[in-house]
Amino acid sequence: MDTLPLKTFALRAALAGATLLAAAPAFAGEITIWCWDPNFNVAVMREAGARYTKAHPETTFNIVDFAKADVEQKLQTGLASGTTNALPDIVLIEDYGAQKFLQSFPDAFAPMTGKVDYSGFAPYKVELMTLEGKTYGMPFDSGVTGLFYRRDYLEQAGFKPADLENITWDRYIEIGKAVEAKTGKKMTTQELNNGGMTRIMMQSAGKWYFNADGELDVTGNAALKGALEAQAKMVKAGIVKPATGWNDYVNAFTSGDVASVVTGVWITGTIKAQTAQAGKWGVAPTPRLDMAGSTNASNLGGSSWYVIESSKEKDEAISFLAEIYGKDVEFYQKILADRGAVGSLTAARSGAVYQQADAFFGGEQVWQRFSDWLAKVPPVTYGIFTNELDNAVTANMQALIAGKPADEVLKDIEAQAQTQIQ
Amino acid sequence: MSRSVFSDRHSARLFGAIRYGLLLLAAFLSVFPFFWMLIGATNITADINTGKVTPGSALFDNIRAFVAQVDVPLVLWNSAKIAILGTAVTILVSSIAGYGFEMFRSKLRDRIYTVILLTLMVPFAAIMIPLFMMMAKAGLIDTHLAIVLPTLASVFIIFYFRQASKAFPAELRDAAKIDGLKEWQIFLFIYVPVMRSTYAAAFVIVFMTSWNNYLWPLIVLQSNGTKTITLVVSSLASAYYPDYGVVMVGTVLATLPTLFVFFAMQRQFVQGMLGSVK
Repeated sequence: MDTLPLKTFALRAALAGATLLAAAPAFAGEITIWCWDPNFNVAVMREAGARYTKAHPETTFNIVDFAKADVEQKLQTGLASGTTNALPDIVLIEDYGAQKFLQSFPDAFAPMTGKVDYSGFAPYKVELMTLEGKTYGMPFDSGVTGLFYRRDYLEQAGFKPADLENITWDRYIEIGKAVEAKTGKKMTTQELNNGGMTRIMMQSAGKWYFNADGELDVTGNAALKGALEAQAKMVKAGIVKPATGWNDYVNAFTSGDVASVVTGVWITGTIKAQTAQAGKWGVAPTPRLDMAGSTNASNLGGSSWYVIESSKEKDEAISFLAEIYGKDVEFYQKILADRGAVGSLTAARSGAVYQQADAFFGGEQVWQRFSDWLAKVPPVTYGIFTNELDNAVTANMQALIAGKPADEVLKDIEAQAQTQIQ
Repeated sequence: MSRSVFSDRHSARLFGAIRYGLLLLAAFLSVFPFFWMLIGATNITADINTGKVTPGSALFDNIRAFVAQVDVPLVLWNSAKIAILGTAVTILVSSIAGYGFEMFRSKLRDRIYTVILLTLMVPFAAIMIPLFMMMAKAGLIDTHLAIVLPTLASVFIIFYFRQASKAFPAELRDAAKIDGLKEWQIFLFIYVPVMRSTYAAAFVIVFMTSWNNYLWPLIVLQSNGTKTITLVVSSLASAYYPDYGVVMVGTVLATLPTLFVFFAMQRQFVQGMLGSVK
């Protein structure tokens, strides 16, 4: 038996395997970015990179896309292990989760106070990335909310667009009843196991589940109470078509089953995809709670870019973000036109795309309107346990609808939340 | 008397019917996701959302969109490289360990074996961060080697080979020794051929685990050029408005290799699970 060739072969195979597996490229002057959604965030970042490269040809971009939960998982692992060379230079973080990262990993993200002119952005986007007087991150897409409604249904019920301007939720319910009486259509739809509507209503009054110090603010929170009561009232008044899951929810308004929906500006593309409904839609400001301090503007969702403090390309990453996201109005026209991305830079409204009148919405300048509301969204501190509170709220919603007093429901929510966040 | 025979037959039939009914139900539950995946790959997102269960005409559009977004050969190559090389080395290392544990007697043997088995109870999430730090120190982040290395000594496969080795006749080894074979020659030329269906079963198990491995590659891989197909499909599915038709094409592509391996080795796999040596 000839054993030598066999040994050599095995050794060679092992070596070949190892070299095959270990090849990894890395070169300087490259900004690495982690984000999710190839057709949205990645595409927007590519556009931003291309614009920056025109003036700085030595800089290259490496945009890596993972699922949203995966970006968070990788970021968490990289930060927790202290292995800074395994982190990107720029990372996208969802706004609701920003404080969790900023507070759990102090000094992990680069403060940009003084390097970015934050006065140009919607104040609420800046607030959510501010911790102890320092602002981290570059505000990106906004979830500024609006009331999207079917002009034709409301007209049939005897309402003009002006009747929907700056109304309260109580007025919304009255209109809803009239719409159903005249057209047979429900006024709106809601996913009852989703906390989105509570968040919209609460933020419109400048409140959140937590106060500015990050402490739980439930039982004494008038805005939260108002938000829960308004939703219970809507359900009891019978103006809501309940939806089971996201697809059902979207289907309710795109199919013409309901007369309106209140949600983030990012839904615009989905609504406009129903080309047969062109001219039949309108937008109005978000209804407000019937209480002092509540405004006709709010937000749902959105995310922002953060630079890793230990990054070798930190300074270049910051100047890239400041130069493109911080002031390039034309960039914001392009990403709105191509990707439907509404940024948070208020100056973007002066551009051509933001000024266009949209025939789909009856010739209204919808982007100007959203831009108006964007600047008015009350800033709140999202804290670090928004998801836990959402769960506690949705779990107790049925009891409220069944007639349990709101103050008691708030106590239940607080008790349930405390077991989850401690 | 005759009545009781009749009722016995009757109840046997009834049980048969119930048994087949339950089996049919189980078969339906197992096969439906595959069916749904294949149907989904031929439909547009709007139809998938409404729960359409008939084939559509969008298959080629979905494939085109998938190919336009994903570097398919590269991604499949990455997955295949990790799965095939990883599986081969894992089986080699783990089967040698299983062989050793069974063949060599020593006082400490079973204590060491117990400790090794105990490590099965430590969840991966608990060792993930230390492992990540090790890989980072070794400069292996964003390499496929970092994915393969921690799996090479698979406790489960060591256990599996040790159990299977119990049926390996000691006489064979003794005879080989008398004929002058060294230990590694006995392993390579006697043990491996005798245990080939155990190897086949282990191959199927390790290949599938490796191909479908998600969390660790996700943590270690950092760039588009090293990503595996499972990561790519996950990224596509998490868009704000996922194109489910395209996601389904990706899922089919990610499933095919494991199906192929399983069906190609099905006979040996079943034999291996029953025990190699007759």
